[in-house]
Amino acid sequence: MALLIAMARGRTWRVAGRFWIVCCLALWTSRAPAAEPAPSAEYQIKAVFLFNFAQFVEWPARAFADARAPLVIGILGDDPYGAYLDDLVKGEKIGERPLVVRRYRDLAEVAGCHVLFVSRSESDRFPRILSSLKGQSVLTVSDADTFSREGGMIRFVADNGKIRLGINVEAAKACGLIISSKIIRPATIVTAGKD
Amino acid sequence: MRFKDIPIRRKLMTMVLGTSGVVLFVTCATFVSYEFLTYRRTAVRELSTLGAIIATQSTGAVAFDNPRDATEILSALNAEGHIEVACLFDKQGRLFARFPASAPDGDFPAAPVGNGYRFVAGRLEGFTPLVQVEGSGSLGTLYLRSDMRAMYDRLRLYAGIALLVTVISSLVAYVLSRFFQGQISRPILALADTAKAVSDRRDYSVRATKDGADELGLLTEAFNHMLAQIQEQNAVLEKRVRERTAELEAANDELEAFGSSAAHDLRTPLRAIQGFTEILLDPRAGELPPTAKRYVGLIRDGSTQMSQLIADLLSFSKLGRQDLTRQPVPIERLCQEILREMESGYGGRRVEIQVDRLPDIYADPALMRVVLVNLLSNAAKYSRTRDPALIKVGVMRQNDGVNPVFYVQDNGVGFDMNYAGKLFGVFQRLHLPHEFEGTGVGLATVRRIVERHGGKIWAEATPDAGATFFFTLPGG
Repeated sequence: MALLIAMARGRTWRVAGRFWIVCCLALWTSRAPAAEPAPSAEYQIKAVFLFNFAQFVEWPARAFADARAPLVIGILGDDPYGAYLDDLVKGEKIGERPLVVRRYRDLAEVAGCHVLFVSRSESDRFPRILSSLKGQSVLTVSDADTFSREGGMIRFVADNGKIRLGINVEAAKACGLIISSKIIRPATIVTAGKD
Repeated sequence: MRFKDIPIRRKLMTMVLGTSGVVLFVTCATFVSYEFLTYRRTAVRELSTLGAIIATQSTGAVAFDNPRDATEILSALNAEGHIEVACLFDKQGRLFARFPASAPDGDFPAAPVGNGYRFVAGRLEGFTPLVQVEGSGSLGTLYLRSDMRAMYDRLRLYAGIALLVTVISSLVAYVLSRFFQGQISRPILALADTAKAVSDRRDYSVRATKDGADELGLLTEAFNHMLAQIQEQNAVLEKRVRERTAELEAANDELEAFGSSAAHDLRTPLRAIQGFTEILLDPRAGELPPTAKRYVGLIRDGSTQMSQLIADLLSFSKLGRQDLTRQPVPIERLCQEILREMESGYGGRRVEIQVDRLPDIYADPALMRVVLVNLLSNAAKYSRTRDPALIKVGVMRQNDGVNPVFYVQDNGVGFDMNYAGKLFGVFQRLHLPHEFEGTGVGLATVRRIVERHGGKIWAEATPDAGATFFFTLPGG
C-alpha cells in the first residue's frame, strides 16, 4: 500500500522500483525449486503400485539392517513421479518399517535400495543396470518396453487404459525375493528373453 | 384312575417312558435354546471369518487396480448361498467391485463405515479392511451383507432333528421298557396270582416259585414260609378239634347213657308208688279215712308229675342222639292241626286263633311238631286267665332279609324280661307250680331242636300283657 502511494507520489520512484524487483525475486524464489506439474494419472497409478509392491513382496532379512530399517523406494533416471510419490509414502509403514524415497542419477549411487524404478531414460543401460543388481535383493520395476526382455522383474504394461503387470518370477526368486501370488495370479508371467 | 391303581407293567413302562421323555425334552430344549441364544454371535463370527478370508484374497486385486480379478474373487461368495450383496471399496472409498455383478449401486453403502459386523434391519452386514501387511494401512474395504436365512434354516433343522430324535428315542424307549419291565413285573405278578389262588381256593399247599435273590425273592420265600405255617397250624388245630370232639362226644354219650338209664331206673320205683296209690284209692280195697284219701291223692298227683318229668327228660335227652332228617314241612297246616287237637283241652273257654300264611320250611317234621306243640300249648296255658285268650302264629322278615322269623304270640300273663335268660334253661320255671303247672323242660327242648336246625329262638314279653316267642330255621 505504502509502495503504491509512494509510486503515485513519484517522489521515491527509484526506491519503489528496487523494492518491486526485490519483491518479485522473493516471490520467484519462494516458489518450489524445480516445480514440476503433478504427474499424469498414469504415473499416479504407477506410484501407488510402487508403494504397494512393498506390501506384496518379501525381502530376505539381510536386505535390512534391522527390524526398523526403512524400506527404500529408489528412482533411477528421470523421475516421472515427483512429489506425488513422496506424499504417498509419507507417514506410511510396512509393518514397523517406514518408507523412504530416494532418487539416483547414476547406477553407482544405487545402494541399500529395495524397490528400484528404472526410468525409460535409462533404457539403453538396462543390461548393465540389471546385471550389476543381480545378487542384490532389489525389486526392479520399469515401464520401458524392453525391460522384461533384459531381465527386469516387474514391468508396467498398458492394456486398454489399465496398467497390468508383467512379472518375471524367476528373476525375483533368483534374488531371494518372494512375490505374493495375489499379484502374480492376475499378472502376466514373463521370462527373460520375452516380453 | 389314580397312578397307584395302574397295573405294575404299565406303571413301570410309564415311568421309564416318562423319564426318558423328560430327559430327551430337556436335552433337546437346552440344545436348541443354546443355539438360538448364541446364533447371533455365531452368525457374526462366521460372517467375520468369511469377510477376513475374502478380504485377504482381494488385497492384490484392489492394490493393483484389477476390478475383473476382484469381481471374480467376490463371485466365490455364490457358494456361501446366503450373501445378499458384497462389494470392495478401494483405498479412496470408491466402489471397486461388486457381487452379484449385476447389483445396482443403490444396493451398496455409499462408503465404508467403521469395521466389524452388526445386525441391521434383520440382516447382518459390515466391513472388513483389506490389509496385506500387519500394521500397514488398509488397501481398501470389503462390505458383506448376509440374510439370516442360514441361521433360521439351521434352527429349523435343529428343531426338526430334535423332534425326529425324540420320536425315534421314544419308540426305542418304549420297546426297551416293554422288554425290561418284565424283569420286575413278572415275578410280582406271579406272586400275586399265587396269593390270589391260595386265598380263592383256600389251598395252602400251593407254593410260589422263587425267581432271583432280590427283595422279591425274599418276599416269595416269606410268603411260602407263611403258607407252610398256616398249613401246619391248620393241621394242629384240626387234630385238636378232633380230639376235643371225641372227648365231648364221649362225655355226651356217657351223660346220655346215664340219663336214660337213670330215667329208666327211676321209673321202676315210681311205678310201684303209682300202682299202690291206685290200689289204695280203689273203693274195692276199702274206704280210706278222708284225710288219708286226700293224702294218697296228693301222693298220686306228685307221682304223676314225676312220671311226666321223667318222660320229658327222656325225650329231651333222646334229642341229642337223634339224626335230623330234613323234609319240606308245611308249617301252616301243622299249626292248624295241633291247634285243632288242643281244642278239646280248652274246657269251654274262649280262645281266638290266628294263623298267618306261613312258608314251608325244610326241617325234621317230627321235631317241628314237638316245637310247635310246646309253644302252642304254652301259649294256651299261660293265657288261660284271659277271656278271650288270643293266640297268633305269624312270620316276618329278619334284618338280614334272608331267613323268615316265625313267632307265636299270646295275650297271657307274660314274664319279666329280666329273667329272659332263664326261660330256656332246663328245669327253669318263671312261674310257681300252683299258678301254672309244668316241668320246665319244654322250652329247653324247643331251644335244643331249633338250635340243632341251625336257628335261633328268643322271646319278648311284658308282665301281664302277653309274650311272643320268635324263632328262625335256616335252610328253610
